[in-house]
Amino acid sequence: MNRPLRIAVIVAMALAVLAPVGLVAYQSFLDGPFFQPQTTFSLSAYEFVLDDEDFFEALGNSAMIAFGMTLIAVPLGAILAFLLVRTDLPGRRWIEPLILVPMFISSVVLAFGFVVTFGPVGLVSLWVKGWLGEVPWYLYSKPSLMVIAGLTHVPHVFLYASSGLRSLGSDVEEAARSTGAGPLRVALTVSLPMIMPSILYSAVLVFFLGFELFGLPLVLGDPEGILVLATYLYKLTVKLGTPSYQLMAVVVVAIVCIALPLVWLQRTLLKTANRYVAVKGKASAVRPVSIGAWRWPAVTLIGLWLLVTVVLPVSGLVLRSFVTSWGEGVSLAGSFTLHHFKELLNYPNLVRGIVNTVLMAAVGGAASVAVYTLVNLAAHRWNSGWTRVMDYLVLLPRAMPGLIAGLAIFWVFLFVAPLAPLRQTLLSIWAAYTLVWLAYGMRLVSGALLQVGPELEEAGRVVGASPWRVSRDLTLPLIKVGLIGSWLLIFVTYMREYSTAVYLLSPGTEVIGSLLVSLWGTGAVDTVTALSTVNIALIGLGLLLMTSFRKHHHG
Amino acid sequence: MKRHLSSVLAATLLLGAAPVWAQGTDASIVSAAEREGSVTIYAALDASEALELVRGFEARYPKVKVDYNDLSTTELYNRFISEAAAGGGSTDLMFSSAMDLQMKLVNDGYAQPYASPERANIPAWANWKDQAYGITAEPIVFAYNKRIVPEAEVPKTHADLAKLLAEKTDAYKAKVATYDPERSGVGFLYITQDMQADKGTMDLIKALGKSGTKLYTSSGTMLERIASGEHAIGYNMIGSYVRERQKRDPSMGLVAPSDYTVVMSRIAFIPKAAKHPNASKLFLDYMLSAEGQKHLANRSIGPVRTDMAADAELVPASARPIAIGPELLAYMDQTKRLKFLKDFQRAMQGK
Repeated sequence: MNRPLRIAVIVAMALAVLAPVGLVAYQSFLDGPFFQPQTTFSLSAYEFVLDDEDFFEALGNSAMIAFGMTLIAVPLGAILAFLLVRTDLPGRRWIEPLILVPMFISSVVLAFGFVVTFGPVGLVSLWVKGWLGEVPWYLYSKPSLMVIAGLTHVPHVFLYASSGLRSLGSDVEEAARSTGAGPLRVALTVSLPMIMPSILYSAVLVFFLGFELFGLPLVLGDPEGILVLATYLYKLTVKLGTPSYQLMAVVVVAIVCIALPLVWLQRTLLKTANRYVAVKGKASAVRPVSIGAWRWPAVTLIGLWLLVTVVLPVSGLVLRSFVTSWGEGVSLAGSFTLHHFKELLNYPNLVRGIVNTVLMAAVGGAASVAVYTLVNLAAHRWNSGWTRVMDYLVLLPRAMPGLIAGLAIFWVFLFVAPLAPLRQTLLSIWAAYTLVWLAYGMRLVSGALLQVGPELEEAGRVVGASPWRVSRDLTLPLIKVGLIGSWLLIFVTYMREYSTAVYLLSPGTEVIGSLLVSLWGTGAVDTVTALSTVNIALIGLGLLLMTSFRKHHHG
Repeated sequence: MKRHLSSVLAATLLLGAAPVWAQGTDASIVSAAEREGSVTIYAALDASEALELVRGFEARYPKVKVDYNDLSTTELYNRFISEAAAGGGSTDLMFSSAMDLQMKLVNDGYAQPYASPERANIPAWANWKDQAYGITAEPIVFAYNKRIVPEAEVPKTHADLAKLLAEKTDAYKAKVATYDPERSGVGFLYITQDMQADKGTMDLIKALGKSGTKLYTSSGTMLERIASGEHAIGYNMIGSYVRERQKRDPSMGLVAPSDYTVVMSRIAFIPKAAKHPNASKLFLDYMLSAEGQKHLANRSIGPVRTDMAADAELVPASARPIAIGPELLAYMDQTKRLKFLKDFQRAMQGK
């Protein structure tokens, strides 16, 4: 890419990011909705929020949960990625799709799965109670919330780390092995440090996800009233009777204030990015590290994680979809029913919702990856003020919790005249998703880009290729694996995304996520679990197809 | 007159039979609605629950297509005022259970009046100046788990509940669930209605607090947890949802308190900026018609019509409907609202 094109791409991205974020920042300094004529400038929103003890409680809880879950998710995700991508672990082809399951189940529904299995009268709880006489854990506490959030975010780290590891040649590992290092030592001192950029990115992003965590605290924090920032936003509305946009905006500004230093920290840590170049001019075959006797503890660890995070809650959920009731003193066999699935057939536009969701995830996801790649190429190997600004910008949309992001993007489509015709089409929803998940897709693609040795691109230049041609014929093919991994991440993310689109949805553009939420709101737990079961089956099928596809292509 | 008659005739011919008179909507409105061709509805009622109603309407008026959007009550409000500010609106009918938010919009002048021919068949409290109509009558009840609460202990009145919790505090420790008025708008509405109906409510709240009652934001999770036995009793539950659950779950019990039973109603209004005002009027009439109400009743959503036999167990003589009117806005006043919440918290802590 040449300079004007790079600048044009970055400016376009900046506009797309700053329109909704700027609107929210502006809103925070008003005393009413920005679109009402009698609204004036005021700092009253800041005064209210900073004087509200609930806010500080929510902020503290969010920070604690975000910190705890990062501490749990990052090491586990990185080790999992090493075991599955770089070693000869038995059954790794079958484990991999399972690992991704927590990502594509709506977190509200997954949390509900935990209630069914680990709640005070949950299936596992009652079983344990039969043995010990009491249940040794309490699901609705902050530590449980932190552990569950951490365990369910392992896949995010896994995806980043594994895509980094896949494009890493195995020469370095072999070198370490030949000098006598054990597999653990190879992982900790060679493989994982080589993909430090991916791991650090994922750590920052998981920390961020912690701040906008909504579904888990909504269900698991409900009985004890554990407030986090996203649920605090709800509470604000109820406390004052009507939604107060200026107060919600202040909360977003607070999150942005936490985000910016984090980006700075991450940039500082990665200043010398070319330390991580791994794809060089010389090709080398990827050979798995043999882990010998370590395979059994490794498989046990993975099995345990899968059991607690995936198998049990998902089984609880699926089971719930086939019974009329559950809990203490209920015979599950006597409650068996197919009614919930029949009820599902009654749901208008269900098929359209499923088609829209799959379309958005597959085609929309691919289009988003194309956008992220374009923006990444615009900044690739270019050290300038433009790219520095960009690093800060990409994270901003995610600083808005889903609910507010949805509202802000809706406002942009509503009040910016040229965009208005797009508002009630799938295109607006795609734009909203692409924007909100910018940081994720961008990081994934850039993780792959950083590993391409500059000498390859320089070689292309030397033989007279234009900058655009270098990108097209050289860089892109080299990061193909990274791009496919990125698409996979975006696919599963879009599959369960909804809150961003809530205001943009209209008849004809509904997605499964929004159906789930509206059902959840009315308390139709029966139908929710049935729909989730169908959803899980669908995605399971997709992942299965993909796994066998990969098997064919990699031998 | 002649023209009027011929349009009635035309409409009748178009519809085949003669449901127009039975329906009661003015024939000129029917034909205008058919010219408009569609009606966009923003509703806080789940699409699957409204399915029968919508299909019934479309069967009767095949020329009017229904665009049904279901949103949460807060989203509904946000979307409406934003679209109104952006000029014009996208919705022809607003339908929501957040009575106070709906009333606020009507009070702020967003609604247009329409004298529905069905208004003779609904109680006075369900119609505010022909601008806001109550479409349903849904009692706020106690739900309980029959496996856990012995028949003799089932509370029949609010005072019974307070007494039960005071006497058997340990047995019911953390076994009661109710809305958190701080985190749920409808929960706030119901508990403040209790305060108006009964001076003893604060004592009940204290008893709830003492027995470690859990506070929730949504009725779905509460009902689920009562069904599973995690909780035994749900206080201030929406009767329609409990009733619907009872259809399949034999251990779910329901009591409409006999001292007084608050009855809530989902409010519908036609926005001034409606693009299809006639189609909207037609749909409103249909919702209030005996046929429309029957469709809702099939999903356990109680009819508001006076000429329809109400479920006696659900709507006892002690029914105390929440009147639709500006009184609903009393707690929109911030100071008053925050004061109540503080009182509630203190009572929960036993102060």
